[in-house]
Amino acid sequence: MLLDLSEEHKEHLAFLPKVDSAVVAEFGRIAVEFLRRGSNPKVYEGAARKLSVSSDTVQHGVEGLIYLLTESSKLMISELDFQDSVFVLGFPEELNKLLLQLYLDNRKEIRTILNELAPDLPSYHSLEWRLDVQLASRSLRQQIKPSVTIKLHLNQNGGHNTHVLQTDPASLLHLAQQLEQALEEVKTNHCRRVVRNIK
Amino acid sequence: MELSQYVQKGFQMLADPGSFDSNTFTLLLRAAFQSLLDAQADEAVLDHPDLKHIDPVVLKHCHAAAATYILEAGKQRADKSTLSTYLEDCKFDSERIELFWTEYQNNRNSLEILLGSIGRSLPHITDVSWRLEYQIKTNQLDKMYRPAYLVTLNVENTDSRSHPEISFSCSMEQLQDLVGKLKDASKSLERATQL
Repeated sequence: MLLDLSEEHKEHLAFLPKVDSAVVAEFGRIAVEFLRRGSNPKVYEGAARKLSVSSDTVQHGVEGLIYLLTESSKLMISELDFQDSVFVLGFPEELNKLLLQLYLDNRKEIRTILNELAPDLPSYHSLEWRLDVQLASRSLRQQIKPSVTIKLHLNQNGGHNTHVLQTDPASLLHLAQQLEQALEEVKTNHCRRVVRNIK
Repeated sequence: MELSQYVQKGFQMLADPGSFDSNTFTLLLRAAFQSLLDAQADEAVLDHPDLKHIDPVVLKHCHAAAATYILEAGKQRADKSTLSTYLEDCKFDSERIELFWTEYQNNRNSLEILLGSIGRSLPHITDVSWRLEYQIKTNQLDKMYRPAYLVTLNVENTDSRSHPEISFSCSMEQLQDLVGKLKDASKSLERATQL
């Protein structure tokens, strides 16, 4: 599958062959850093001064690079397809190689970052438990009532949520059993077949 | 067990064979237990024909006294000797003490369950449901191809009677971690019950 680059995108990227490869490599590093941490306009200004161009040009160049990398990573295109896609830009061979290397080196990390943009459900972080025995309450003395107190840690939208819950021994066993069955399910023929055939 | 004058007075009336014969005594006692333990019980519990001849004020007093005492005895897990001591002080004869004790024994379990269920506690997990899915793509990311679980815990709140749910997603590894911890807790529970 080839990348479909718009005219505007091609224009932005056209800046890259005008600078030497060390600069392109630096832009690549900045691009990935911006994907990790968000963009920082001051960097554009500094680079623009050093290269004697407008900061808009630098910005477009870096953003073009970012888009190239994210689209390629999202679609998980092969090396060959990446090379063919970039070929249409008419860049020198050395630049093409550099861009390919940039793609391959950062693909995995970029995919991890893109994954975080998916609709976010609270996700499991960890679980703490404690065994308790209730001995008395205001309305009844001399009890022996076992219970399990659970602290469930969840992640959502980068934040941390905690739920403090309780359950009785029978429910605890039921919970463990049900979830164990859930785990077993992945190993069944049906699931294996699906995993094998949808790739 | 500290009980008020009101209760004592009610019991002294109950002790008197002139006001309550054996039959009416037992009926009143049963009415008191019923009021406490039967969710559908209402004022009609004292409407028995054999109780009609008794002054309604006396009836209500004795009924309230009996109910109060029963709750206090249940709360303190009173044994036969504690019960007997108090009832003797109220001038109960041994036959009535026996009757009271028998009724109390019959209803003891239900009483203790009722009392034990009163009170605040943390949200209680009652059930769990799960869903296994195979993630293919999102609008940001193609070719994901990995299994994932969605787990929902059904939770009950004692006071608000609400049933919130806690849902979360997890990967296979995370679910393995969760199941591992739950099994640790279960084993620990088993060991504790064998002590």
